[in-house]
Amino acid sequence: MKSKATKIRLGVLVVVTTLILLVAAYLIGSRQNLFEETFKLKAAFSNVNGLQQGNNVRFSGINVGVVSQIGMINDSMVMVRMRLEKEIQPFIKSNAIATIGSDGLVGNMIVNIVPQAGEASAVKDGEEISSFSPIATDDLLKTLNVTNENAALLTADLLKVTRSLLSGQGTLGTLLKDTVMAGDLKQSIANLKTATERTNRSLQRFEGWMNELDNREGLLYKLTADPETAKEADSILSNLAAGGQKLNGVLDDLDTLVNSLGKEGGTLHYLNSDTTMTKRLERIMINVEGGTRSFEENMEALRHHWLFRKYFRKMEKEAENNGG
Amino acid sequence: MKTADTEHRTPGGTDRRRPVLEIKGLNKAFGSNKVLNDFNLTMYHGEIVVVMGRSGSGKSVMVKCLVGLMKPDSGEISILGRDMINISSGELDELRADIGFLFQGSALYDSMTVRQNLEFPLRHRKERKELTENMEEVVTTALDQVGLAHTLDLMPEELSGGMKRRVALARALILKPELMIYDEPTSGLDPITSKEIIQLMKHIQQTHNTSSMVITHDVDCARVIADRIVLLINGRNYAQGSYEDLAASEDEEIKAFFKT
Amino acid sequence: MIYSIQKRFEDFFLFTAELSLFAMRYFREAFRRPFEINELLRQCYNVGNRSLPLVALTGFIIGLVLTLQTRPTLQEFGAVSWMPSMVSISIVREIGPVIVALICAGRVASGLGAEIGSMRVTEQIDAMEVSGTNPFKYLVVTRITATTLMLPMLVILGDTLGLYGSYIVENTKGDVSFMLFFNQVFDALEYQDIVPATLKTFLFGFAIGLVGTFAGYTCKKGTAGVGRAANSAVVIASLLIFIIDFMAVVITDLFYEL
Repeated sequence: MKSKATKIRLGVLVVVTTLILLVAAYLIGSRQNLFEETFKLKAAFSNVNGLQQGNNVRFSGINVGVVSQIGMINDSMVMVRMRLEKEIQPFIKSNAIATIGSDGLVGNMIVNIVPQAGEASAVKDGEEISSFSPIATDDLLKTLNVTNENAALLTADLLKVTRSLLSGQGTLGTLLKDTVMAGDLKQSIANLKTATERTNRSLQRFEGWMNELDNREGLLYKLTADPETAKEADSILSNLAAGGQKLNGVLDDLDTLVNSLGKEGGTLHYLNSDTTMTKRLERIMINVEGGTRSFEENMEALRHHWLFRKYFRKMEKEAENNGG
Repeated sequence: MKTADTEHRTPGGTDRRRPVLEIKGLNKAFGSNKVLNDFNLTMYHGEIVVVMGRSGSGKSVMVKCLVGLMKPDSGEISILGRDMINISSGELDELRADIGFLFQGSALYDSMTVRQNLEFPLRHRKERKELTENMEEVVTTALDQVGLAHTLDLMPEELSGGMKRRVALARALILKPELMIYDEPTSGLDPITSKEIIQLMKHIQQTHNTSSMVITHDVDCARVIADRIVLLINGRNYAQGSYEDLAASEDEEIKAFFKT
Repeated sequence: MIYSIQKRFEDFFLFTAELSLFAMRYFREAFRRPFEINELLRQCYNVGNRSLPLVALTGFIIGLVLTLQTRPTLQEFGAVSWMPSMVSISIVREIGPVIVALICAGRVASGLGAEIGSMRVTEQIDAMEVSGTNPFKYLVVTRITATTLMLPMLVILGDTLGLYGSYIVENTKGDVSFMLFFNQVFDALEYQDIVPATLKTFLFGFAIGLVGTFAGYTCKKGTAGVGRAANSAVVIASLLIFIIDFMAVVITDLFYEL
C-alpha cells in the first residue's frame, strides 16, 4: 500500500457500498416487517386463491403487514398467519373479517382486513379473526341464484294466475311503467299480506258453508228450498265475487312489485340488500299462491255444484262479453 | 549447519576444498529435446565459475534447476551441502536466502520503487533478524555499494539498463548470499557498462566472500572474471579449465567459442 | 481436419483442467499463512477505486437508456407508473451485475493478464520465487481475492447509479419525486432479488480474477505472449461471466421453487 490517502479512499469505497447495501436491505426488510415491532394474527380460509407468503395485508386500504405463513390445518381449511405492524393493533377489532382479494388488474393476492360495525375489543397478539372465503361467496351467490330462480318461477305462475283473473290490460300496463310504485312497495306488500289472509279466511268460511251444503242436512240445504234463502245465497255469491275482485287488485300490486324487481337500480337493489325483506316477500308469494290455488279449487267445486251451475254460466257469458 | 558454514567463511579467506555446489548427472528434456544430458559440475568455495554455451544450450535451464524454479528429470544437485531435489518448500525458501540470483533482464518489479524492490527479499525473512530489523540501513548500504544511493525512491522505468542491472545486483546481494548466480549479467548492455558490471561483480566477490556462477556467452567477460570456465555443449559439460587452457585448445567445438 | 477438431477438444479440456487446478491452488493457498494483506489492499484499491469512474458512468447511462427506451412502450399501456419496479428488478437482478462484471472483465482481467504476463516474461515472478516470496500468494491470491471482494461493491454502486439515472429520466419526463421513485423501487425488490444477485457478483469477481491471473501466470515467453494473455483473459472472463450468470439463474430458480 503506497500511502495513507489510497488506503482511506479504499476505505471510503467499502464503507459507502456497505452502507448502500445495508440501507437497501433495511428498506426491503422493513416492507417484510423484519425489523419493526410486529404482532401476529391468523385467519382460516377454505381457499386462499394463490395467496403467497410475503403478500401484503391491508387494513382499510393501508399496507399494514405481510402474510408470514400459510398452512393446512385440516383437509379443508387453510390457516393464514399474518405479521402486522404493532401500531395498528389497537385499530383492528376482534370482530374484523379477513378476506382475500387481488391487488389491481395484474393481481398480487392480498389479505384485506375489513372492520365490522359494532363494538368489539382490539385484537390480541396471535388471535384468530373470522374470515370470508372467496369460495363461500360463490356458494352464497349460488344459493341466491336458486332463490332467484324459484322466485322467477313463482312469479311466472303468479302472472299466469293474475292474467287469468284479469279482465283487462289497461291498469296492468300503467302499473308496469310506474316506477314510483317501488317506493310504496313495503306498504303494498303489507296490503297484500293482509288481503291474502283475509281471502284465506273468507275462503275457509266459504268452504265450511259448502260442506254444509253438500251433506244436504245443514242450514243451507233448507234455505235453498226457500226462495228467500235462495236470495240470500245469491248475495253470498256476489260477496264472493267482490272478494275475488279485491284479490285481483292485490295481485295487480304484486305484479307491479314483481316487475319492478326486474328493473335495475330500482327496488331490486333495495330488496337484495335487505335479506329479511326478500324472505318475507317469498313467504307472501307462497301464501298468495296457496290462497289462489284453494280459491280456484273452491271455485271449481262451486262451478260443478248443481245449485250454482246457472250462475257460473252467466258469469262466463259476461266475461266473454267483457273480454271481446 | 549454517553456523558451521559461517565459521568456515573467514573474512577475505577462501576454502577451495569445500564444495558449495555439486551437480551430478543432471537431465532435463522438453519433449524430445534433451536440453541437459548428464551434466556434471562441482564448484568450490570462493570460486568464480563461468558457464559458457550457445543460446539454447541449456545454460538458463541449468541455473533454474539450481534454484528450484525448474525440476530436473533426473540427477542430483547439492548446494551448500543440502540436497536441492528432495527438499520441502520451507527448506527451499531458507536455502534460497543463501543464493543470490541476478536475472538476465534485471527482473526489477516495475510496480515498485527501487527501495521496495530491495526490501522485497527481506519480507518473510524473520530468521535474518539482523537484516530485517535495520531494513532502512541495509537497503541504503546495498544500494550504496552499487553506487546508486540516489535512486532510492525512483521507479525502475526511470532507470537506464545499466542502473537497473546494478539495482538488481544490489537486490540479489541484500541477504548476503554465499552463492551468487549471474544469468547473462552483461546481456543487452553496451561494452562500457558491461565492463562496469563485471568490475562490480569482481569487487563483490572479494568483499562479500562469495562463490559465483556466471552464465554468459560473452568471451571478454569470461576472460576477465573466470577462475574456471565450463563449456556447456549439447547439454553436457564438454570441457572445463582456465581461460588460457581452453583458448589454447585444438578442439573444433572449443575453438568456435574463442576465435574472435 | 479431424485431427484439428480433436486437437481443439483436447486443448479445451486441457485448458479447463488447468484452470480448475489453478482455482484449486488458489483455495489451497488463500487460507494459508503468510497473508499478503498490504498487497491485497493495494489490489482492492486497484480493482475497486480505479474501476469506479468507469462503472459509475456505465451504470448511470444504462439506467438512463433503459428507462428512455422502455418508456414509450409502457406509456402505450398506460403503465409508466410501473417503471420504477421494472427498472429496479431488471437492474438489480440482471443488468447491473452483468454489465459491471463485463466492464471489469475488460478493464481488470485484461490488466491482470498483461501485468502478470509481463512479470512472467521478464522473470519477475521467478525473481520473487527466488527471493523467498511465494509469487502465487503474492500475485495471484491477492488479486483474485481483491476482485472477488470488490466486484460486489462495484455492482452495488453501479446499480445505485443506474437507478439514479432512471430516476432522473422519470423525474424530468414524468414528474416522479425522489421519494416516490425509490419507494416503488424498494417496494418491487425483495431479498430474493438482492441476495442471489449479490452472491453471483462474488462469483463474477472470482472468475475475473481467476481468468486474468491464470492467463498472465501461464503466459508464454515474448511480448506476443503478453498480448495474447491480456486478450484471452478478457474473452474467457466475459464468456465465463455469462456461463456463471446462466447457472446462477437456473440455481436460483430451483432454489425458490423448492
